[in-house]
Amino acid sequence: MTTQTNRRAFLKNSAVASVGSLILPSIIPSTALGMGGKPAPSNRIVMGAIGTGSQGRSNIGDFLELNNQVQFVALCDVDTGSLQKAKEKIAKSGAKDDQRTYGDFREFLEKEKLDAVTIALPDHWHGIIYTAAAEKKLHVYGEKPICRTIHDGQTIVKAVQKNNIIWQTGSWQRSRSNFHRGAELVINGRIGKIQRIEVGLPNGNKGIGTPPVQEVPKELNWDMWLGPAPKVAYRGVSHWNWRWILDYSGGQLTDWAGHHIDIANWGAGLEHTGPVEISGVGVYPREGIYNVPVEYDFNCKYANGIEMRVCNEGRLEMGSGTTWYGDKGWIHVNRGETLVASDPKILQEVIGEKEIHLIKSDNHWQNFIDCVRSGQKTIAPVEVAYRAISVGLLGEIAMQTGQTIHWDPEKEEIIGNPMAARLLNRPYRQPWHLATL
Amino acid sequence: MKKIQILFVLLAGFLLFQSCQEKRAYRALIITGQSNHNWMASSPILKTILDQTGLFATDIARTPKEGGDMSKFQPDFQKYNVVVMAYNGDSWPEKTKTAFLDYVKNGGGVVIYHEADNSFPDWKEYNEIIGLGGWNHRSEKDGPYVYYKNNVLVRDTAKGSAGSHGPQHEFLVKARKPDHPILKGLPVAWMHGKDELYSTLRGPAQNMEILATAYADTAKRGTGRDEPMLMTISYGKGRIFHTAMGHVGKDETHPATECVGFIVTLQRGAEWAATGNVTQQIPIDFPNVACSVSRPDYKEVTLSEDLDKISKYSIDKSTRYYTDLQARIRKVTGDPAALLELEKKMVQVLKDKNATAEGKKLLLRELAWMGSDYCLPVVQELQKDADLQEAATFAIERMKPQ
Repeated sequence: MTTQTNRRAFLKNSAVASVGSLILPSIIPSTALGMGGKPAPSNRIVMGAIGTGSQGRSNIGDFLELNNQVQFVALCDVDTGSLQKAKEKIAKSGAKDDQRTYGDFREFLEKEKLDAVTIALPDHWHGIIYTAAAEKKLHVYGEKPICRTIHDGQTIVKAVQKNNIIWQTGSWQRSRSNFHRGAELVINGRIGKIQRIEVGLPNGNKGIGTPPVQEVPKELNWDMWLGPAPKVAYRGVSHWNWRWILDYSGGQLTDWAGHHIDIANWGAGLEHTGPVEISGVGVYPREGIYNVPVEYDFNCKYANGIEMRVCNEGRLEMGSGTTWYGDKGWIHVNRGETLVASDPKILQEVIGEKEIHLIKSDNHWQNFIDCVRSGQKTIAPVEVAYRAISVGLLGEIAMQTGQTIHWDPEKEEIIGNPMAARLLNRPYRQPWHLATL
Repeated sequence: MKKIQILFVLLAGFLLFQSCQEKRAYRALIITGQSNHNWMASSPILKTILDQTGLFATDIARTPKEGGDMSKFQPDFQKYNVVVMAYNGDSWPEKTKTAFLDYVKNGGGVVIYHEADNSFPDWKEYNEIIGLGGWNHRSEKDGPYVYYKNNVLVRDTAKGSAGSHGPQHEFLVKARKPDHPILKGLPVAWMHGKDELYSTLRGPAQNMEILATAYADTAKRGTGRDEPMLMTISYGKGRIFHTAMGHVGKDETHPATECVGFIVTLQRGAEWAATGNVTQQIPIDFPNVACSVSRPDYKEVTLSEDLDKISKYSIDKSTRYYTDLQARIRKVTGDPAALLELEKKMVQVLKDKNATAEGKKLLLRELAWMGSDYCLPVVQELQKDADLQEAATFAIERMKPQ
């Protein structure tokens, strides 16, 4: 029963569960170990969701598919329509749709007694809400990229560490076997010493011009949606398409940094460091309200000599995905179970017992729940997510300033360029501010 | 006295003219005079575009009208570094054809422009020079269809006629050889101005490289294939640049040739054809996947025009001038003196009582990261303005030392 004891250390709502399981251990034997079976309601992880737009609902669905290990009790969104859709989705899964609903995350965090929360919001809200959830000592499944600025990211990492919570980033590619296998072969030297990495991310979006200002839909609290971002008139762009506006996101680059750059770091052993020199070119829209780079191409040099090129897939022969080039060959991984190598024999290699074995997960959401129960680190912890998005954000700064950026990955500072250093942070609109930890 | 002044001005003008002429390293010859398109409009446009590079001194040679006596049409090709074919008409005399082929074989540059790939269906060597052609009874006897399907280059020998296009529309041009000197440094995809999307071209396609394609959407009566738009061909020692774009018809405006993507690829393609290299800088207004960009007067926008438009900006107007300014800032961030000059001009707009609040907000966004102490007092002053208080505060917060 030691596992159970460990687990309880991480669950606040386990008072009922502990009584139940002590009295009737034979009825719910496997759940405590997270090994499947149908858990009693009292043993489920009590969860809430902040952000119930398309990605939020997708994550809720993935948690509900985990054979009843999770119970959603509360939902929070600035759009009552999204809340309604989330409830409908939950009902469809066969679970009860009796969740309490909130329009303000502060009230949600104040009133709800949860074990964990899944958060899927536009990037400009990540700093404040991830930090607030961690400060409430909730375990967090948080969407990538974990921050809009380096400063936000540093604060989030501190909050997670300080409160000793379990954190899983939505970088789910880590829980897919082709990415895992590719990274594990690379980190164990099967392509020799890594020299360079190419990361191809999706090409940019098309513009929509400048849609007219329009009335805010009744369901949407527009001012709360904007939050710390500058106040602007509503033009029908909020859900999903916030991705194309710099106040809320860095575009495809920052969206996908949490996937293919994250995987690149995993295989190359760069998970806990960052580049020392970043330079490149961005292509920006000429017209309209979408202003994220539609193409991008930058190069990162690391202290150990590795170079990483990050660009839109149209610029690379290999297209989208991550390609590690070593002195003995290359390995390429991508969505669609893609795993190829310069020599197919490399892919047959067995990783020996004493070699590096990367954490293995077959289900990203299950891995989070397992870690909430066990207290172990997830497959995509916050520090690693911060380092992945840092590459994208530093690339963004290099492109915006048109300059070569020198970065100190230890002190996490831009060296000798105060102008570029201003871009490590974004002022928040009052009254919003990020806690100083 | 006045006469002397006038003479002096004329002389100065002449000298200036001379010096400009002398600076131009290469000579270009546009050949036109017959076409199923509006050649009277297109030839001066092409000349303007080429002359604008500062590299070319461009002449225009016109053939006689359709059915006219061609025997005297004998341009001295050898005088030129690049010959721009903007011609679709009667056959040339053998002597002229031979002179043209000698010019190309010996290393002369050629640009094939739009309808010129319709011309001379029965002139074998010309078809080798254009690589791909259309219309005028071309068919499988002339060579395969060449296109991309699912990102794979296809040489399709199916039977059928050559040359087609649906209604004119804007379309995305996609680089296939982004590292070729003509495309190097350009976006890998850009929205092209309203144009005919030439499709089902066929021809010998020997020694030909497809630099860029456009997807011919079936919704626009297209082929559902990625059709070649920009090509290079080598013939003997000659270099050929072929652009299938740039339709100029009877309409008053010509969005296809006003498109910055067309202008710049033509300029770069012509230099490459003439020299094998491209030395031209990429202009700040080059379009990308987001939208097409047009130069109705074939001129690049100046900084003062940009600032003037920004000072009149309201939220329903074009943001193009703002994005121009952003590109200008990016170009000079490494040069503190030039950056300060730009900042001073931006601050002038901030001080301008007639400039719009929305325009000033755009400038504050940029000053927030690139502004120096110079702009600070003016920005602080704007904090008192209710419309600008938030944007000015954002700028001041960001300018604080980290």
